[in-house]
Amino acid sequence: MILVGELSLWVALLMAVWAATVSFAGGQMRRGDLIASGERAIYATFAMVVLASLGLWTALLTHDFSIKYVASFTSANLPKIYTITAFWGGQSGSLLFWALILAGMCSVALWTNRDRNRELMPYVSGTLALVLVFFLATICLGSNPFERLDWIPPDGRGMNPQLQNPGMAIHPPNLYFGYIATTIPFAFAIAALLTRRLDAEWLAAVRRWALLSWFFNTTGIILGMWWAYVELGWGGYWAWDPVENASLLPWLVNTAFLHSIMVQEKRGMLRKWNVTLVVSAFLLSIFGTFITRSGIISSVHSFAQSPVGKWFAGFLIVLIIATAYLVTTRLKDLRSHTELESMISREAAFLYNNLIFIGIAFSVLWGTMFPIISEAVRGNKITVGPPFFNTVNVPLGLLLLLLTGIGPLIAWRRASVANLRRQFAAPVGGAIAVGVIFFVLGLRNFAALLTYTFSALVLTTIAQEFYKGVGARRRMYDESAIVALPRLVARNRRRYGGYIVHLGIVVIFAAFAGLAFKREFDVNLRAGESKTVTDAWGHQWTFLSQGISRYRVLNREVTAIALDVTRDGKNAGVITSEKRQHVDSRGAPTFEPSTEVGIKGSFKQDVYVVLAGVRGTDAAEIRVTFNPLVRWVWLGGALMALGGLVVMWPQAERHRARAKSAVPARAPVHEQLPGLVRA
Amino acid sequence: MTFSRRDFLRASALGTAATLFDGRNAARAQVQTFSGPMQQSAHSPVVLPPKAGAKPSMTSAQRDDLEHQIKCQCGCVLDVYTCRTTDFSCAVSPAMHADVMGLVDGGYDGAEILKAFLGVYGESVLMAPLRSGFNLLGYTVPFIALAGGSILVAALIPRWKRPATQTVHGGATPIDATREELDQLAAAVRAER
Repeated sequence: MILVGELSLWVALLMAVWAATVSFAGGQMRRGDLIASGERAIYATFAMVVLASLGLWTALLTHDFSIKYVASFTSANLPKIYTITAFWGGQSGSLLFWALILAGMCSVALWTNRDRNRELMPYVSGTLALVLVFFLATICLGSNPFERLDWIPPDGRGMNPQLQNPGMAIHPPNLYFGYIATTIPFAFAIAALLTRRLDAEWLAAVRRWALLSWFFNTTGIILGMWWAYVELGWGGYWAWDPVENASLLPWLVNTAFLHSIMVQEKRGMLRKWNVTLVVSAFLLSIFGTFITRSGIISSVHSFAQSPVGKWFAGFLIVLIIATAYLVTTRLKDLRSHTELESMISREAAFLYNNLIFIGIAFSVLWGTMFPIISEAVRGNKITVGPPFFNTVNVPLGLLLLLLTGIGPLIAWRRASVANLRRQFAAPVGGAIAVGVIFFVLGLRNFAALLTYTFSALVLTTIAQEFYKGVGARRRMYDESAIVALPRLVARNRRRYGGYIVHLGIVVIFAAFAGLAFKREFDVNLRAGESKTVTDAWGHQWTFLSQGISRYRVLNREVTAIALDVTRDGKNAGVITSEKRQHVDSRGAPTFEPSTEVGIKGSFKQDVYVVLAGVRGTDAAEIRVTFNPLVRWVWLGGALMALGGLVVMWPQAERHRARAKSAVPARAPVHEQLPGLVRA
Repeated sequence: MTFSRRDFLRASALGTAATLFDGRNAARAQVQTFSGPMQQSAHSPVVLPPKAGAKPSMTSAQRDDLEHQIKCQCGCVLDVYTCRTTDFSCAVSPAMHADVMGLVDGGYDGAEILKAFLGVYGESVLMAPLRSGFNLLGYTVPFIALAGGSILVAALIPRWKRPATQTVHGGATPIDATREELDQLAAAVRAER
């Protein structure tokens, strides 16, 4: 099976080359047989990559340590679940995993468009096949997971203990899905540019893929934050690490696109902009992969000094040149069909929102690359860490939050003064009330105060939109509010799913602002000693050491401390934090010790305990951090994912399609006119 | 040909796989940085003589805040405070912490301590670039770009805008409704007003 897998990889590469060649040739010559052959070759490529993947999984699960990848990232005593996830735990395996998902998505895209977009499809398959060729060639020639050692070690090196976490089992695949899904919209954009068929056809084909990418990117980022928080032990969930930033870039651009696509759908505007965003999301995905795998920037995630970085750099340069050429030579075809009627309109609001999204993306990219720029210009190495990113991005983030509240309040085309007055009254009132209340309660952190004020604006806006929508349904269909609410969402999933996403964003921003009240304490305790500290809410917390214990479990030696915790004199339970030294099947240490954080969480705050060190036999060095509102970050992430699912859910479209084909029916008039009820 | 586990681990950890693999393979050796060896010798003492009649210049909390601005040099990309309170295998951050404590006890304030660290390690010891000289570009370019983008949009908008009478309606979603439904909608709108 392993040999079959290895050979399949090479066959897959040949298939992809064939697919790219005949697809483009078929498109140019309008030869249906070549086009069909190209599509079949992509399906065959997928089958071959599946075989290759099964080969690698077989090697991992049978502990075939003659394969360098297996010996480098697993060991005989590694739990089975992590032996399976080791597939994407290292460089070459993760590239194969990338190729697997990419080939699968290409096949799905071709299958779902087998009767649609036929003018575009040869070029779509050709572009997808070219991307496949790149990844398969990189794997076969640059980083082959089936590469063999000249000798067979008795055991493997094992998996980095920090990767032995459920979050890491699902966080990378989510991000990969998010990154890779940008390829399909990119291929459609290239096909549209090549054929100059730049009307709404290609856009309709890519919206769902862009949403899918956004959804997985969102869940991947949130899961990564959760993993960093519970596993790395540094007390936070976002460190502005270059690789974290790399995952944020396509997310920001994709989010901008999902807003601006509405302007093109409804008003025929921003056509150049939308093509640019689709292409940029894909380029940034490749850029992120380049950063992760080239080692050019110091990061906790990097596959340091990997030769595939050069492959990605070359690919990126070719892509930038090719897409820039295509876009600039098609500018005339990308002219808008309609004009902006007013600066105070929904489409103008989307324009501002896009400007901020791209502004943030640029500032993140700029900050990530600035150490390299600085070194090139001045020869000085500098560090661009959280203080820089917070300084630059907090104002931009607040502006974005403000627009999240304002945008939905403004009507399409042109908003009248009366409309604005009516729409803004409650949200502005709510925002001012919350701002004043927080100020009176003593909140003096300006950024936090603005965050809560703007959050109130967005929340009131969302509540108002739901209230009006439910009200309209109740009047028109004589429904109760309980019936009207789910039906409202179900009948207009894009709009109300979007509001659920906005709700998630507000919750996350509010949680971020809670960091203003973070408190950290260094505590040194021997067995039986205690220390009392005060959190930001004024509660007195006492930590009593029960002493340090040492024991061995599974594939690790554990040093643990248990702390009896009381809050304001009342028992608050026990918190345990560990240091783990992972060992191989013969008991020898494999990696540097890792941290297992002790967390006692509530929606108010997490008490976050890290065993930082042990002096002598029983003197523990502990860091206690009071992290306010962290659970709200996970809740906000879940809400965003839920909103994304509501938007993506296909049932409504199928229902509409069936309804359209059955009778010349249409959606109720109030649903066709978003914003008009208010106008 | 067999190798002991220790040999294998050593080879993997220290990157000496070149002695075991052929040259091509050695060039491909992959090490993830967060499992890679720390630069435990990266510490350089930052010591200044205590000021006359020196008293500690700041509280522990202020010192911790200061340590958040200084980057640990072990290769972990964390600040000194976070590294020393997270990773007990790091010898660099405790040493840098000791230097900070020495300077605090010697009566030096935050700016002086940062300057002393800068003198020894260079600018890479700071978690964020100094706000001076070329670095100002780093802090201002995002805002300049945003302002530039706004000006560009403002300049382009008059070209997009046309009198309402010239508006092409083709791009808008057609309203598929009966007269009766439109009347019903208008009544609902009036009721809301």
